Amino acid sequence: MYWKYAIRRVIYAFIMFAVIVFIFSAIFNSVADRVMRSQIQETVNGESRAWLRQGQQRSQDQFLVWKVQRQAELTRMYHLDEPLMGRIFWRSIDTVTFRLGQSTIIRSAEGSQDVMTIVTERIPRTLLLFGTVTVLDIILGVWLGMRKARKAGGLMDKTTSVGTMIVYGMPAWWLGMLFIMFFAFTMPLFPSGAMHSTPPPEGIGYVLDLVYHMVLPVLTLVFLGFWGTAYITRNIVLGTMQEDFIMSARARGISERRVLFGHTLRASAPPIVTFSVLSLLGAFFGAIIYEGIFSWPGMGSLYWQSVQQNDIPVLMGNLSMTTGLYIAGLAFLDLIYGFLDPRVKVGGKA
Amino acid sequence: MKRDRLAQLRSFWSEFRQVRFGMVGVALLVVFLALVIFERPLLTYRDVNSRWRDMMYWTDSPRYALPVWVNWFTSKDYATSAVIQAQNVQEAEGVRRTTMEFPYEFKAGRPPSDVLLQLALTGQVSLTLDIVRPDGRSVTYQKNTSSSGSQVLRISVDQNLRERVFQMVASAEDPAVAASRNPKQINSVGVLFGKAQPGVFSDPQVLDGTYVLKLDVTLVGATAKLDSAKVIVAGGVSGILGTDAQKRDLWSGLVAGTKWALIIGLLTSIISVVVGVIYGVASGYFGGWIDSLMNRIYEVFVSIPLLPILIVLSAVFKPSIWIMITMMCIFFWVGPVKTVRSIALQLKENAYIEAAQGLGASHRRILFKHMIPQLVPYAFASMALAVPGAITYEASISLIGLGDATVVTWGQILFDAYSSGAVLQGIWWWIVPPGLAIALMGMTFAFIGFAMDTILNPKLRTR
Repeated sequence: MYWKYAIRRVIYAFIMFAVIVFIFSAIFNSVADRVMRSQIQETVNGESRAWLRQGQQRSQDQFLVWKVQRQAELTRMYHLDEPLMGRIFWRSIDTVTFRLGQSTIIRSAEGSQDVMTIVTERIPRTLLLFGTVTVLDIILGVWLGMRKARKAGGLMDKTTSVGTMIVYGMPAWWLGMLFIMFFAFTMPLFPSGAMHSTPPPEGIGYVLDLVYHMVLPVLTLVFLGFWGTAYITRNIVLGTMQEDFIMSARARGISERRVLFGHTLRASAPPIVTFSVLSLLGAFFGAIIYEGIFSWPGMGSLYWQSVQQNDIPVLMGNLSMTTGLYIAGLAFLDLIYGFLDPRVKVGGKA
Repeated sequence: MKRDRLAQLRSFWSEFRQVRFGMVGVALLVVFLALVIFERPLLTYRDVNSRWRDMMYWTDSPRYALPVWVNWFTSKDYATSAVIQAQNVQEAEGVRRTTMEFPYEFKAGRPPSDVLLQLALTGQVSLTLDIVRPDGRSVTYQKNTSSSGSQVLRISVDQNLRERVFQMVASAEDPAVAASRNPKQINSVGVLFGKAQPGVFSDPQVLDGTYVLKLDVTLVGATAKLDSAKVIVAGGVSGILGTDAQKRDLWSGLVAGTKWALIIGLLTSIISVVVGVIYGVASGYFGGWIDSLMNRIYEVFVSIPLLPILIVLSAVFKPSIWIMITMMCIFFWVGPVKTVRSIALQLKENAYIEAAQGLGASHRRILFKHMIPQLVPYAFASMALAVPGAITYEASISLIGLGDATVVTWGQILFDAYSSGAVLQGIWWWIVPPGLAIALMGMTFAFIGFAMDTILNPKLRTR
């Protein structure tokens, strides 16, 4: 039953991705058209220069005819000769099948101008950074949240709740700047940015170097993030504690510790995971440009680069891939939820 | 009915007053509102809203000056910045000669970064500038200039008077040391304000007292005239929050940014929560295929990552601040929908809704008279909690350089700071205040929102 649910959820995610890509194609149609036309123009110009260099065997007329034909051919190839809906449709198909076109300036590490290559080489780096943060956030947050719930209304609970509110509207990138200023320049403990030293060391040193470079960005995000997780955990756990089965467990004389960590935490796990990961998903995609502050070469930095160099194809490709990842994250969450909460599997209707 | 509502409001307020951090939030909000209302008297530079990016407007200020209050914490005070107007102006008849004095009261631990004489002249003019120090030593500078129209002449101690300043104190220094120094490479302003004693070139000790700049202008010819003259002391400190690389007064920028933060935050949150609540209630109330359709639309919006789409929209369409607010509303309204819909599903089952339906009340009446009023407290809480998000998103978009360049926002100040390398140079007074303002504003609304939340969900208060 769970597999049926899982498959349905995954298919739904793909449909959602297609729909959103279609909406993007519609919104950004005119700018995408413009970029593509200028790219075709460039291709034709480049080819005709090569053609002329080969020698002047053919006449000027032939050359012009060839040029016009070539232009028409490429225009047809990229579906630019079609009406509006057709262009949007074909562009969506291209994006969904991950043919994201060529960049105008930005190149990948190997020098490729294929947008898909440029974006995909950055995905693991972003996942590494934000994945580490998520795990640390949940561990710290759930731990603190349980402690808060245990003595709700107490001094610890109140002060940490105020902590949650203090960091509520603080931009992660600003705190990152402060930390860089302090921990990288005033008190040079950590590197000010990037993922590796140059040149990167070999072997085990490579991993240690990577961890060393990750400390400051991870620290900043965790410092901002785990308060929220703790607050959510606290509220969910307190809600669960009002349930009858907790009271009956207590009545049976089960120790408070076991009631809290055995019964309450087990029952609260699905919503805790969902809410905290959901809020973290939102926070991370809201903090994605944060990477730029630490020169972490992920997808967030790519937004900075493509905005600064006005590289529209990379910008759009990056947006599609980010959206894809986000939708995948949401689907993954539902799958975890279904796994943790047996009620979801049976009916399929939440 | 109306009195009912008022009594409700009053009881809500009396409950709200019990929550201490909620009251802190309200107090902070009052401070921010005061900053907006009294913006004009608070601004040190009145035209900051229109001329923030106008280089000409800021020429008289020092670059990278620290905030004034830094002097309270250092043993060696930084010189304050000042613009000195002429005193003792004497115009001799006939020969067309004007003399004026600019006294500068210097009392600080560190010299200013530069002293500038700025003149607006027309025609052929010859002028003599004497800087007389408290110990009687003086520097003299002479210049003849002529121009057909009016011109602005700037004489800087650091740029024009180096060698003369060197000559002035060279006699006090050990001759061997003085001979080994290159006059072009001295810290001219430091020496000008330093005690004439051995070591003045390598480690000048400040000489307190009144420095008088005496200007003697002779106008040659009938058309020549002196339009204005002033002395600008570019100090190490300036204003409440110092200045940035473009010499802008950061306090004025920060105050001018307050209203935009409030406008962006409040407008976005109010519009999107109103839309979201109506959407959620309608979806829950109508049910059936309408609910399904509305749910699908909702899910499409939820599945779009917010900041990336806002960045790309801003990069492609280069929106004004108002369009940006609209864009944020388009994606922010989904926030309260899910909770509101589930509340609406419960409300719908109440007998009075059925009764209203039975009496033939229209859907609109039921939605707006019977259901939505019950959601007002929840709506206010979510509005308060949505404000920080909106402000942060605008700041983030500005941070990559896509902000509306016709207004001053905190995010744009941070963009300028970041792109000028303030982080690397440690110009903390350029980075800390705008970010702190964003964080404080976020905290304000978080305090208010969380306080409302604890009132609405009393079981979360204690175990």
